Amino acid sequence: MSLNINQVLLFAKGTLTTLELTFVSMLIGTFFGLIIALGRISKSKILEKTTWVYVWVFRGTPLLLQIMIVYLAIPLMTKEIFGDAVKMSRFAAASIALVLNTAAYLAEIFRAGILSIDKGQTEAAKALGMTRRQTMVKVIIPQTYRRVIPPYANEFIMILKDTSLVSAIGLAELYRASEKLSSSTADWRYLFIAAAIYLLLTSVATQVFAYFEKKFSVYI
Amino acid sequence: MIKGEHIDKFFGDLQVLNDINFEIKPSEVVCVIGPSGSGKSTLLRCLNHLERITSGKIYIDGELVDYRGNDKDLMKIEQHKVTELCMELGMVFQRFNLFPHKTALGNVTLSPMIVRGQNKEEAEENGRKMLEKVGLSDKADEYPSRLSGGQQQRVAIARALAMEPKIMLFDEPTSALDPELVGEVLEVMKKLALSGMTMMVVTHEMSFAKEVADRVIFMDEGIIVEEGPPSQIFGNPKKDRTKAFLARTNA
Repeated sequence: MSLNINQVLLFAKGTLTTLELTFVSMLIGTFFGLIIALGRISKSKILEKTTWVYVWVFRGTPLLLQIMIVYLAIPLMTKEIFGDAVKMSRFAAASIALVLNTAAYLAEIFRAGILSIDKGQTEAAKALGMTRRQTMVKVIIPQTYRRVIPPYANEFIMILKDTSLVSAIGLAELYRASEKLSSSTADWRYLFIAAAIYLLLTSVATQVFAYFEKKFSVYI
Repeated sequence: MIKGEHIDKFFGDLQVLNDINFEIKPSEVVCVIGPSGSGKSTLLRCLNHLERITSGKIYIDGELVDYRGNDKDLMKIEQHKVTELCMELGMVFQRFNLFPHKTALGNVTLSPMIVRGQNKEEAEENGRKMLEKVGLSDKADEYPSRLSGGQQQRVAIARALAMEPKIMLFDEPTSALDPELVGEVLEVMKKLALSGMTMMVVTHEMSFAKEVADRVIFMDEGIIVEEGPPSQIFGNPKKDRTKAFLARTNA
């Protein structure tokens, strides 16, 4: 197997794209996930129902299909309906699909975290004059960190690996880079290099989340 | 100071409060006793809107905070006014309900800062005073998980006091404690009573009621069966149900 500078660069660029996709979708997905989770436990029937439908749709269909819909179906659909295609870059389409998908999973993780906090906490906060919003922000959500980190780490690792699905729209992330190298050179080793890099990335992620879990457990 | 008129409370078909009328005057210490399920905790929880009454009226400081019939508001009372008046009630729970992610001092200062708008220094200075009041100055920086049940409950009392309530409500404050820890909590409550705080205490501690209460209310099956000074309730109860209850508790 040859690993010249060009091939190293291909791997590096692929890894970078994978990391970019992961961080973008997790950061934005966390934000939307939290909003959806709050919608799911909201007293408003409309919010509760719409967020339920959201989770139902994005958790109930394949991520690969969602990626293709954003990248392929939406431009065609908008062209047919409005006569003007909404086009976006591969990276944008991939990010949007990943955000939409992970937000649904994260919403359920956050909702479970919020519901796991004892009702007595809400009552104490209310008796101390806090509003619902203050109770959520200052009392409930900080207590969910520790409980939410393990499933959140799980989702992070899933997304990190699932970014490989965006190879379907031709984005040269880590998997696609290695796959192209392997098939063009008929050398199986490139795929194993990719596997090693994924394993390294997920291992680092595991360690980082373990650190935060410990940090948020000081009061236990 | 706080008054209830014709209070009914239903949970579904189950009536837990039945035409309750009572009044608590400034600096009065009232103990509410009665068997489990008699509605005494529910009554306390209705006063600061943790539960809503089905019908009746509640006044705090002469102002109406609840006027309901058939689970509906009969008079529109502005929410901010209700919140303000309810803040005159400090609540201490059976299971403490301290915020586990905050230190003792953090528990005591949180609400004064975000609800009363005090700055950190002000809240902490006042918070330390409150912890001193309950004898826990040295535990200010400990998390609740490192404190005994009795200490946790004293922090909970300090937390309620930090909001400068006019009335303190205690919902079976010693029921979740190991027997040897009950005394330190009752001691703090006794000091509070002597300092002139208005208090309504739901309790199973008959000796505390005997010693500290100005008045004792005996409740059973959602009604106030009998009320009067402790000497009368414990020494010379008039109703059979009161007698039977006291005989069971060996008071």
